[in-house]
Amino acid sequence: PRPDVSPLAPGTYLLFAQNGKIDHIPLDSQKMKKNEAKTLLHLPDKVVIAVAYDCVEKMVYWTDITGPSISKASLHGGDPVPIIRTGLGSPEGIAIDHLGRTMFWTDSMQDRIEVASLDGTKRRVLFDTDMVNPRPIIVDPVKGHLYWADWNRDGPKIEASHMDGTNRRTLVRDNLGLPNGLTYDPHTSLLCWADAGTRKVECMNLYYTDWRRDAVVAVDRTAGRETDEYLPQKRSRLYGITTAYSQCPSGQNYCAVN
Amino acid sequence: DATAGTSSDCKHCPCPGDSACAVVPKTKEVVCTNCTTGTTGKRCELCDDGFFGDPLGANGPVRACRACKCSDNIDPNAVGNCDRETGECLKCVYNTDGFFCDRCKEGFYGNALASNRSEKCKSCSCSSFGTVNRQTSCLQVTGQCQCLPHVTNRDCSACEPGFYNLQSGRGCERCNCNAIGSTN
Repeated sequence: PRPDVSPLAPGTYLLFAQNGKIDHIPLDSQKMKKNEAKTLLHLPDKVVIAVAYDCVEKMVYWTDITGPSISKASLHGGDPVPIIRTGLGSPEGIAIDHLGRTMFWTDSMQDRIEVASLDGTKRRVLFDTDMVNPRPIIVDPVKGHLYWADWNRDGPKIEASHMDGTNRRTLVRDNLGLPNGLTYDPHTSLLCWADAGTRKVECMNLYYTDWRRDAVVAVDRTAGRETDEYLPQKRSRLYGITTAYSQCPSGQNYCAVN
Repeated sequence: DATAGTSSDCKHCPCPGDSACAVVPKTKEVVCTNCTTGTTGKRCELCDDGFFGDPLGANGPVRACRACKCSDNIDPNAVGNCDRETGECLKCVYNTDGFFCDRCKEGFYGNALASNRSEKCKSCSCSSFGTVNRQTSCLQVTGQCQCLPHVTNRDCSACEPGFYNLQSGRGCERCNCNAIGSTN
């Protein structure tokens, strides 16, 4: 065990989307337990792009561009429950605020970011300007921050705002190609992105999926090298990925209070 | 069910080429898990994202899944680029439009099929003063905007020689200069 790596609690999984299914791999500290990888959900007629996890109710949420729709299902099995089926173009990113019980998503056809309660009510548009191809979105519920990236070929950027839409600002504009994936480590406050244009994961953290290799890749952010790789039996593009923690990070935010 | 103890417990997967399948525990539904590259669906009857066709011929003749054909006017980093069955292009870029992204979208002109991006579709930019009904669209190939009387140029931005007052928005008026007092 390394002193600079906080071990993951047992019962932590990776969840990732591959066309019409969502797979999961149990994690054992830095290793993927590949022989225990299995398909959590078969959605054969869907194209699932983004996945997010609600650690409170142990639910996986996903966006599907064929519907298009946003749905959820229990990690313990059960039928998918559609949540949002109207007013979507190409939903490609989703994030869950487990404290405020809200979800945020990007839509790269309508070029906007929306927010709604986890049951789909109280929906509203958060941003609809200066967006071309918004895709990954993540939320830091404890600090109340929202982060997203736009892979616009003429000006890719990574932006941030408060969860209520105030204080929008650009964090990264230089040396970006196609920022498709975004992640945040609350322990180190590191924001990291997987860039399909520069073919780099910068700032480094955790795990990402790779279209050129059709693989799930693990990286050690401190050592800056790959530590593990998982190739699903069926070779096709991999889309969104998220970590399903066995326990929620603790905290409180203004959406939870109000 | 391999535990029942009869010879018919295990059945062939109903998947093309005897590829693998799985039974969804709750619904008992059989789903193919190892469709060939480019195909997906319960019975491998659909094309993957980025491909189109009708691999089992569910709605007509069999059409193997092929990559979206969108005249090089889609972005490979985008998802949902074409309809999985018909192939209709859904995410044309470079201001193109049409089933195959093979023409310029409204308000743009040029050659959507040009290999050089700068020769593809350019904005019509019709002059609002000189164009009929202040239209923003123009002819696809030449880019000619529909000009008001005695207005000229591709974008209807100037009066014909001998005419003035483009700004009127009603076309240009004859100058009516006196032939004796004018220089030409």
